[in-house]
Amino acid sequence: MDEYPAGSLDHSVPFLLTLGTRTGAPYDAGLSAALKEQAVLIRSDLAPLESDQAHALLRYMQDRDASRLPCNGRDAAGRKYRFRIKTAERSLLLPPRRARLPEGFESPSPTVVLHSPYSPLSPISPLYPDGLVDTQWIRKHQDLVPSVLLCFYTLASDPTLATLCDNQIKTDVNNIRALLSQSGYKTRLAVVLLSDHVSSASSVDGVQDRLETIRRGCGLDSKALFFVPSSDSQEELDRVAENMLTTLYTVSVEYYRDLGRHSRKKRGRGIAPQPTVPPTSGTSQTLSLAGWNVRYDFKSAVFAEYRLEMDVALRSYEQAYENLLSSELMELIPSWSPRWNEARFLADVVAVRCLRCLLWNGQHSAAARRWQFHRERIADFVDRRGRGTNNYGWEAWEARWAVVMADLIDKVDIPELAPTTLRLYLPPEKSVMGERLQPWELLHHTGYWYRLAGKHLQARKVFAYAIPEDDRRSPSSSPASHVAKAAFAYDTYMCPDPYEEYPLGRAGVNHGQMIVDHLIRARSEFLKRRQTRFAAEVSLECARELAAAKGWQNIVELLRPVWKELPFRVEGWIAIAEELNWALRTAAAEVGDAELVLLADWELLSRDFAKRPNWHYDITRSLDGVTITSKPSVSIRDGQLRSFVSASFLFKNEEGKAGQSVRSQLSIKSNAHPESAPVVLNSVYLSFNGSLDGVILRHQENEQAMKTRGKATLAIVLLTRQADSDAQSEPETPDEVTSGVTLVGSADLTLRPGQTLVFNMEIPLREPGETRADSLTINVGSEAFDLRQSLTFQERGNTNLWYISPSATKPVAHPQPLAVRVLPRPPKMEVRCPVWKEQYYTDEPISLVFEVENGEDVEALAKLDVLLFGEKPPPFTVVIADHEDQTSSSVRSEETRLSGAPMGTIASSKSLAVRLRLPPIDRSSRYDLTLKVTYFLPTNPGTLISQTAVFQLNVVNPFEANYDLLPRVHPDPWPSLFDPEGVAGQASVDDTPHPPKGISQAWSLITRYASFASEPLRVTDIDIAIHPSPTSRCITTTKHTNLPASGAGRLISPKTIEVSTFALTAQKLTVDDRAPAPLDISLTIKWTRPDNNPSSDTSTSTVNTTTLPIPRFTLFGTEPRVLASVVHHRRKRGGTPLIALTITIENASNHFLTFGLAMEPSEAFAFSGPKQTTVSLLPVSRRGVEYRLLPFHLPGAGAGDGDGTRDGEGVGEQGGGTNEGGEEEDDDEGEGMWIRPGLVVRDKYFQKVLRVIPAGEGVRGGKEGFEVWVPRLREE
Amino acid sequence: MATAIPSIACLGNNPLHTSIFPSYDPSSNSFRPMRTPLQFSLILSSTLDVFELRSRQNAAAGVGLTGDFGLLHAVDDRLAAYGFETNTGTRFVVIVDMRGRRIDGALAAGLADGRDKRIAGAAAGLREGEMRPVFKAMQVAYIRLMQNPFFDPDDHSPPAGQGGRKITSRKFAEDMRRIGEAWTPGVTSL
Repeated sequence: MDEYPAGSLDHSVPFLLTLGTRTGAPYDAGLSAALKEQAVLIRSDLAPLESDQAHALLRYMQDRDASRLPCNGRDAAGRKYRFRIKTAERSLLLPPRRARLPEGFESPSPTVVLHSPYSPLSPISPLYPDGLVDTQWIRKHQDLVPSVLLCFYTLASDPTLATLCDNQIKTDVNNIRALLSQSGYKTRLAVVLLSDHVSSASSVDGVQDRLETIRRGCGLDSKALFFVPSSDSQEELDRVAENMLTTLYTVSVEYYRDLGRHSRKKRGRGIAPQPTVPPTSGTSQTLSLAGWNVRYDFKSAVFAEYRLEMDVALRSYEQAYENLLSSELMELIPSWSPRWNEARFLADVVAVRCLRCLLWNGQHSAAARRWQFHRERIADFVDRRGRGTNNYGWEAWEARWAVVMADLIDKVDIPELAPTTLRLYLPPEKSVMGERLQPWELLHHTGYWYRLAGKHLQARKVFAYAIPEDDRRSPSSSPASHVAKAAFAYDTYMCPDPYEEYPLGRAGVNHGQMIVDHLIRARSEFLKRRQTRFAAEVSLECARELAAAKGWQNIVELLRPVWKELPFRVEGWIAIAEELNWALRTAAAEVGDAELVLLADWELLSRDFAKRPNWHYDITRSLDGVTITSKPSVSIRDGQLRSFVSASFLFKNEEGKAGQSVRSQLSIKSNAHPESAPVVLNSVYLSFNGSLDGVILRHQENEQAMKTRGKATLAIVLLTRQADSDAQSEPETPDEVTSGVTLVGSADLTLRPGQTLVFNMEIPLREPGETRADSLTINVGSEAFDLRQSLTFQERGNTNLWYISPSATKPVAHPQPLAVRVLPRPPKMEVRCPVWKEQYYTDEPISLVFEVENGEDVEALAKLDVLLFGEKPPPFTVVIADHEDQTSSSVRSEETRLSGAPMGTIASSKSLAVRLRLPPIDRSSRYDLTLKVTYFLPTNPGTLISQTAVFQLNVVNPFEANYDLLPRVHPDPWPSLFDPEGVAGQASVDDTPHPPKGISQAWSLITRYASFASEPLRVTDIDIAIHPSPTSRCITTTKHTNLPASGAGRLISPKTIEVSTFALTAQKLTVDDRAPAPLDISLTIKWTRPDNNPSSDTSTSTVNTTTLPIPRFTLFGTEPRVLASVVHHRRKRGGTPLIALTITIENASNHFLTFGLAMEPSEAFAFSGPKQTTVSLLPVSRRGVEYRLLPFHLPGAGAGDGDGTRDGEGVGEQGGGTNEGGEEEDDDEGEGMWIRPGLVVRDKYFQKVLRVIPAGEGVRGGKEGFEVWVPRLREE
Repeated sequence: MATAIPSIACLGNNPLHTSIFPSYDPSSNSFRPMRTPLQFSLILSSTLDVFELRSRQNAAAGVGLTGDFGLLHAVDDRLAAYGFETNTGTRFVVIVDMRGRRIDGALAAGLADGRDKRIAGAAAGLREGEMRPVFKAMQVAYIRLMQNPFFDPDDHSPPAGQGGRKITSRKFAEDMRRIGEAWTPGVTSL
């Protein structure tokens, strides 16, 4: 906007001029010299005021000068007045209302009409004869002719001077008024009177009178006279001043309204006025009516703008604009004429003022559109009628046009677009919401506009640099014909001629500086709104211009932050990063910033960037030609640059143990340009976080172990430890790792482009814990510089490749190859149980012996924790030599534990015996026994080491048994109901125990038990325990076991069945009681461990007792029983065996029973005895019937196993009771046969057949009746 | 002069894919890209600023859930950047050249008699939401790309935010080319 003449684009604000205060400087309105001599002088004769009050008032007014206020309706709405305020001391000059006739002009007619010197009608005006409007006219109203002339006077309070003073004021005011009216301007006159009295309260009435007198004397309106009472208070003064200005504002607006009305009236006349003097020069063309209309419209618009009637102003401006660009006006102006550029200028001014009106009303999108529209219009116009748009002049205008918009936006001060809102553009206003909008029509912030201007300036520069040399010569040194030709080829509207734009041989327009200025302004706007990337782009453009101007230092300052902070390289904008690098590198090399040069060169080595031909790509040569003061040292963080070196690290194993070493592999990969020089790394430093030591690899030329093939180079590096002091002296070691032991190795570290260096290392592990490979620092250096790049290892999912050979890789299986878990040093204490058995037995006290052996190099102070876990674990006792016995405590129902039993010191490679005692356990069960030895070594008292041993304790029942209870015939007679003694004994009811008198029965209990132990056990005794019954008595009469009588017992091997027989006699206490009685017996086995281990003497001495409960049997009962028993009579050797079969029928009931016995004849034997008989039994009685049997077929040697059922079935369930017999027959070596007597016993009354129960040896039950044993005939 | 798309890009924080289309150059009456790839890179990367600003504003205001960012900014009076963000954070940017296409016959005939260029200017403008079909089509293409089991999105937009490879799928590039060439203002489906 600054390029336009001053005042041409300013916002029009009502002009108020004060007169009569001391200002110190004379008032100069800036009248042109030509007009100055014709100017009208308005002068006050009174001395200017110098009082503080006057100055305070003036300052108050000046502070509220509105000419610099933001141009928007929002701010204006809150203001009661807007004034542009100027001050004159005693006099002011007004431009002449009528221009004089030019010198020497002979008036042809006496009625020459004189016009304003600003009108194209007056020859004195530059517009004469056919110009439109120029800046002079705008300035006339803005700067020269005030709307209000405010005169300051003192109202003297001194009564002696009052009248004189008042009269002086009256005279002066009248004088000024006269001069004003003489000048022809309608400037309103106003007077402000300042009282000089300190306390004027007493003479208020007097003052009022005087004021009235003065007002009348001066012929002033009541609105034009103001009185400022003398008062110290600023508020009072402010109030008066505020009132005054508000009043004056209405007066002023009225003034401009009159002017506007006047110009509208003139437009309404519809004729073009004739100039004072007809033109004689040029085309002698005068301004057409259309031109006059433009002029009048423009004037109306400006006056409307004074009144802040922006809509009216906009309408008038638009009208003026359309007319101006219409076919009748601008189309007719030839492009070579100066009027052409003047018209363009006027079009610009009108357009700017239109834009301001639109922005004033908040029509931002309309403004942007109007902006574009003007550009299109003018471009079209220039293309058609002017010199086209492909020249520097047009681009200069385009740039200017963009800057104008930016300035306007600045002036308007749109709060929605303020930087703090972070908004880039405004949404379209409502009126254009639905329309198709160009994106640019959404008003963007000024940064965009400045950047646009910068772009056009760049284009201007390009065009300017393309000017041929002939045109660049100054016209004085060029042939005239050429000058004439060039005059039409270039658009020089508001810009210099080609020989000034880009002169030959000397500096012309500094395009670069202009571009940079605009771009920097744009950049600051972008930065304010956090558009960092956009700002970087602008910086890059700036740098390009600066490079052309060799402003290297500026480039470095501009680009260094961009290069350092912006995420282009991280985000993969390679092209941008590359551009930045080269720009910065070039500048830094010129400036001598060696660090930047190194950094840029280092990064540019990466193959990600495009290769620049003819560039050396050698880091050692990067400082060639750079002047440096000291040796630069550069440290590069990981990720700071797009480094061409990448590194990875792998641990071969997921975990290792302290004291051992772990295999690991470090690979360093170069991604440099293929033709770049190899980079020699002086050293690399590998750091871990965790307990591992750092590793330094130093460069060593031409190592023999190197195997180079393909893209990778594999080397095995031996690491040696280096003491702290040496590590500190190493310059290449980063400072933070100076403490601690460092491992040092050496290898060839020449990194060729595209190659990978792989190093295999064995890294010793020292302390337990998790350790990660952290970063790699590589050092490159020469005499010229030091460079350090640090690389952080990244965990990558699937690319963890282990180099087996330079050409072969395999993936490492574990997921975190950067980390190794160092396990603690393994414990060397051992817990053993030398005689651990798979099974332990119930009812046996268990004693376990453990050995704790110290395998450590030194003695250890140990403690023991024992935990027994299972269902209802028994308490146990721990016996340790030289220590007290410790008994466990039960913490929960399923665990018993003993904690921290001291074991004392165990010397190295010695062992300590621990004995664990458990009481007999009565159920078979399973327990987990955990022994934990916790110890520490005196060499490292802080570290507790523990060793745990878990044993499984199986406690099983060693024996199982089954039982048979077989009936026998009791030999004693039953008590008789008719025996009074027996009955009488029952009657007495005293407590003394009576011998049982009831029915007695005999039984035989056969137990078969087996050992389920895993080893043979020695059974020393077997017995039964009969639980006493209240109604009966039962005793064991005989016991038959196969145990030796000595009591030493017999060794029972596992899973063999042993039989024991017990004869029982049961008797009811009384005869009356014949109810069934239960029999509860348990089997008691006394056993010991076989003493095959003489050393463990304790176990042999202990006799364990295992008690097995026998299921309940039932004795007695009232049902009748039929018992069969046989007796084999052998009277003589070789004689006929006679078998006596006795059938005993028992009637335990209270009834008289009759039984029928029938003996079937059989072919197997003959018998004697009743074939058919009837037996009657009294209640509680028994009777026997005897048969003698003689078998026909005696079992001989040949027919011995005719039935062959003896041995098998004797043990079976048939209950034949032949076990004893079997034994006997084994002794007799005899075999026999079974015969089946067909004896049927039938209850006569119930007609029920009773089963014959075998009761004794030689009789067994069968499916079809009982059978009788016929022993084998003895041969001898 | 009508609008055309001179560039379509698909961005994470890194450029995933960029297609550049030629614009009409009135001075030579030919079609050629109006900027160099570097300049387009700069323009595209500068849209990331706007995405960041806008997503902050959107998050504060609780709007913008559709992912359509609309006009990001007008780079200058010719080029404007429109943006879209998928809910996985991939951004689509379309740079529209407001004067990139030669006016074809019908439109030219309509404008020939109307001497007022404002009509032409208005016709060349864009309504809000007119870019939506483009983004929709891009998203469809992108989804199709993601459905390829051999395409690993983490390779291209690493969660750590660094690096990332470009999309090399020929089909995707072909889709982008089709979208870029077929679109004109008013097209509702691509």
